[in-house]
Amino acid sequence: MVKRSPLYELQKKLGARFTEFAGFEMPIQYSSIKDEHLAVRNSVGLFDVSHMSNVWITGEDAEDLISLVTIEDASKITDKKSQYTAILREDGTVIDDTIFMHLGDKYMIIPNAGMDEVVTDWLNKKTEEHNICATAENVSKDFVILAIQGPKSRDTLQKLTKTDLKTVGFFGCQYIDIAGIDCIISHTGYTGELGFELQITPTKDAEGVFNKILEAGKEFGIKPIGLGARDTLRLEKGFILAGNEFEGGRTPLEAIMSWAINWDHDFIGKDALLKQKEKGDYERLTSMICSDKGIPRHGCEIQKDGKKVGKVTSGTMSPCLNTGIAMGYVHPDYREKESSLEIIIRDKPVKAKVVKPPIVPKDWAQNKK
Amino acid sequence: MGDEVRPGLKYTDTHEWLKLQGDTVKIGITDHAQSELTDIVFVELPEVGKEVEKGDELCVVESVKSVSELYAPISGKIANVNRLLEESPETINGSPYDEGWLVEIEISDKTEIDSLLDADSYKKLI
Repeated sequence: MVKRSPLYELQKKLGARFTEFAGFEMPIQYSSIKDEHLAVRNSVGLFDVSHMSNVWITGEDAEDLISLVTIEDASKITDKKSQYTAILREDGTVIDDTIFMHLGDKYMIIPNAGMDEVVTDWLNKKTEEHNICATAENVSKDFVILAIQGPKSRDTLQKLTKTDLKTVGFFGCQYIDIAGIDCIISHTGYTGELGFELQITPTKDAEGVFNKILEAGKEFGIKPIGLGARDTLRLEKGFILAGNEFEGGRTPLEAIMSWAINWDHDFIGKDALLKQKEKGDYERLTSMICSDKGIPRHGCEIQKDGKKVGKVTSGTMSPCLNTGIAMGYVHPDYREKESSLEIIIRDKPVKAKVVKPPIVPKDWAQNKK
Repeated sequence: MGDEVRPGLKYTDTHEWLKLQGDTVKIGITDHAQSELTDIVFVELPEVGKEVEKGDELCVVESVKSVSELYAPISGKIANVNRLLEESPETINGSPYDEGWLVEIEISDKTEIDSLLDADSYKKLI
């Protein structure tokens, strides 16, 4: 049975075209993927991402549980701070990438859409196996998640709250009143622009908040944004989409997440990662920009002078750059910045150049001529 | 929005239109097709001079999320392609029957035209 966001009727009213993603029927676009994408880069856009999951972690050993199952040492993430991390299997491959938020005596994690049960069960299994006094509770269906993103996102949201949003630092999180409704806010996002995410429960309160944000953002040209633009926005910044970049089993070393690994604590998968780090010869996630015409797609082979050196995991036409862009795993000898590769699109080699992410630079809208 | 069916043209059940021009035929995709595809961001056109049989792959039209192959509705030789689409593929969305035409084919078998749909029959399809 396909699930929907609690805001489905509102999405229909706003003219959404729907698609199926991870078992959810969600808006892929409202007006046009390109227009929505540029609205976020230039000004502000509002996303309903309620298909993502919500899991509370409570109990006196909640911090220990997170430290055990993720690559982060949770004692480093103080109250009202959040962190991007990964939950690993014993073999070091990623089960899910997620944000966790420290909120007083408990934590909220936001697994990807469709991963709520897998992650909750994994966490609870580990509390049993390791005698940890903590519980993971899947509350995904009780929450609406909104993301407001873009250079004008803070100005828009500020109109709806007495809290000075400048005091919510990058990756900060806290309880807040938005438009008269208690929410959890985090200074986080998936677009590479200034932005915030809101967790709202009960879900019946969310439609009012959504509409008030649209009203507050009207002077900035706010648009509702679908999953189509969500994907082009994250890809332009080299952000991971779990279903693509972790497909087939990938480790955080391969996915260039080593900056997020805290090696000074014990965690599930650590031994496997240490062994892999020692060998060093693993494929690595690489960002590319096409210099010939063509749109790379998931599964396209990557070659160097006719020899296979990798495969595309995500590809699209970049709305900002008007050229094809891609992320993919490439053999370590062929991915130096500025080096050229060929992406095979329908049997034709299309020239591409390796770039260090973000593929589209920070503050693109302010800096473009 | 996506429902214009231009009279006087021939159609296929795969949402292409054909304009008969004596020995050649001009081909594009219908308003319904462009509206289903949404923003077209890339078009791959065939080589001028290429011979195609009915049913061969003719060209590829890509939106942000999808890749659509178009197949030749009739047999012949590619006489002309719309180079404008290489720079401005979105022209197809704004003007599917006029500026957004795709290719012109020199017809090799005029009898193939008989199996095409007229505007009224196509309208019933969509």
